[in-house]
Amino acid sequence: MFFRKYGDIITGLFYTALGAATIYFATQLPKSRVMKIGPDFMPMVIGVLILVLALMLLFQSLKNFKANAEKAESMPPDTADYKRVLASLVLVVIYVNILAPVGFILSTLCYLFLQIVVLAPNDRRNSKNILMYAVIDVIFVFAVFFLFRYGFKIVLPSGLFTL
Amino acid sequence: MGALSQLGSAILRVCEPTSLLLMIAGVTVGIIFGSIPGLSASMAVALFLPLTFSMSSSLGMNVLVAVYIGGISGGLISAILLNMPGTASSIATTFDGYPMAQKGEAMKALGVGIVFSFLGSVFSFIILTFFAPWLADVALKFAAPDNFGICFFALTMVAVLSSGNMVKGLLAGMLGLVFAMVGLAPIDGTARFTFGIPEMRGGFNTLTTLIGIFAVADILVSAETIGHGIKTIPVKKVRGFGFSLGEFFKWIPGAIRAALIGTGIGILPGIGGSTSGMLSYVTAKNMSKHPETFGQGEPEGIVATECANNATIGGALIPLLVLGIPGDGVTAMMLGGFLIHGLSAGPLLFVKNADVVYGIFAACMVCALIMLIVEWTCIKAFVQVLKVPKHVLLPLILVLCAVGAYATNNRIFDVQSIVVFGVIGYLYHKFKLPTTPFVLCFLIGRMTEEYLRRGLMRFKTFGAFFTRPIFCVFFGIAVAVILWSVYKEIKAARADKH
Repeated sequence: MFFRKYGDIITGLFYTALGAATIYFATQLPKSRVMKIGPDFMPMVIGVLILVLALMLLFQSLKNFKANAEKAESMPPDTADYKRVLASLVLVVIYVNILAPVGFILSTLCYLFLQIVVLAPNDRRNSKNILMYAVIDVIFVFAVFFLFRYGFKIVLPSGLFTL
Repeated sequence: MGALSQLGSAILRVCEPTSLLLMIAGVTVGIIFGSIPGLSASMAVALFLPLTFSMSSSLGMNVLVAVYIGGISGGLISAILLNMPGTASSIATTFDGYPMAQKGEAMKALGVGIVFSFLGSVFSFIILTFFAPWLADVALKFAAPDNFGICFFALTMVAVLSSGNMVKGLLAGMLGLVFAMVGLAPIDGTARFTFGIPEMRGGFNTLTTLIGIFAVADILVSAETIGHGIKTIPVKKVRGFGFSLGEFFKWIPGAIRAALIGTGIGILPGIGGSTSGMLSYVTAKNMSKHPETFGQGEPEGIVATECANNATIGGALIPLLVLGIPGDGVTAMMLGGFLIHGLSAGPLLFVKNADVVYGIFAACMVCALIMLIVEWTCIKAFVQVLKVPKHVLLPLILVLCAVGAYATNNRIFDVQSIVVFGVIGYLYHKFKLPTTPFVLCFLIGRMTEEYLRRGLMRFKTFGAFFTRPIFCVFFGIAVAVILWSVYKEIKAARADKH
């Protein structure tokens, strides 16, 4: 509901800020001493374009706000499961940050298992399913590790222990 | 000896058992690397390069060609089945391939993709074999301003792609341009938008951006509805390649156009398969009598993309072989292969090592056929992926992507940046912004600026660009495209009001 009603206005505001920031950072870039068009040219052009387009979007969505809001009210309610989205995001963020210090094997064993369980529908979370996820997890992680390490000769982060 | 007889004897040499077996292995590995979103064709070539040390020079080159062809073509499998392009070349395959798979036509979509990949490759190899030196001359006539014109033209495709809600589509693309600016500026190497983070000086990697936007975002988007129960996608069984002869002939004109676009873009160094696939898709959509079916599961969309991106291979080999100029990451790697085997790519290669050159031509043809056979026999195995429940499949893919992102540069920064792009992809989904303009702008943005500034270095003023006919043509088309799109948008908005 929230996204349908205010989505375009938030997008417009975000891009207005982005455009202004891009223009600001472009002015901070050094000008070329040799040519008129230096490293600051493209960022400046992009910044100005973003600002103009964002203001157009804001104007459009404010003008049609009432009609769109009514349309949004009449649509079926949002059934998105934000708990799973948030849990997945947290897992991915933790995973990419512990990958190097903890090492590929340990961090992936934990991440992959938890991610499958988080995404699994409620009726697929009984003990038999969980056991299967754990087996898939272990087989997959070691298969990938050995394939990359010895097949492709790509050394993955070893972290706490080396193999 | 004429070209044909040279080619004939080369094909006989290529079909020796050892060489044939190695090429089958090369194509297969290429397909695997191409089809997994985290692994790319250039990675596969890099992996095979050391293996060719011990082979004879022509055998080594043949294997590299096999891996290259398999790698570019393999991208269509994951694009159709998972909505994730395995390589940047097959981004546009997802537009129609995935909807087809959702409708139960996965096997037909794969069949169309495979057959037209093959035809696109063969078309470009025929051109490569007979017109290479002549076309290389044409490629040399392209200076920086002309390439700028092409890039600018490709950027205007964003306007076409986002018809219906142009302002949002353009804004979606603009963020891609901002991300393309990150890193050291072309020509002078000024650090831009790096915020003092040393890893950002290199800019964001194409592969990591794609992985983030497609794979990571897909996990977050799927998480929204995955708890509501498991949906199984039906797979209709098909005979042969899944389409009739009548359909095949109906698609031929589109396929020829796509192959021409693909080969043409391939010849120009530095533009590459991802652009050609996208350009060809948009052209097909615009020329079609029923553009509204594109994006809903229209086989012609797959024909346009797959034919073009595979035709780019033959195109890209032209400047590589004739001039010694690599067009993209993969051909740069192949140039390394030439050097290892003591061959110097360039005009003299045709004189001194004609056998190797014709060997490569023959290998291209044979590999295209191997690719067709391998992929066709495996269609049934590919569609099994659809049977794996999504809550298991998506995390497995994400791990492969993370590993692939790490393996490109051995930097943990690349793995971390996939999350940033994943969040962007998810927010785009929530705020109903299209992701294609973002990807297109990101891919072409940096190139556009580089050619503009290189051109200005030589021609001093922008006005001088207009003395170049090639630039004028592309710039003119680009301006016309913009005006036409804006006109259509305003007309549609007015009609909407009434």
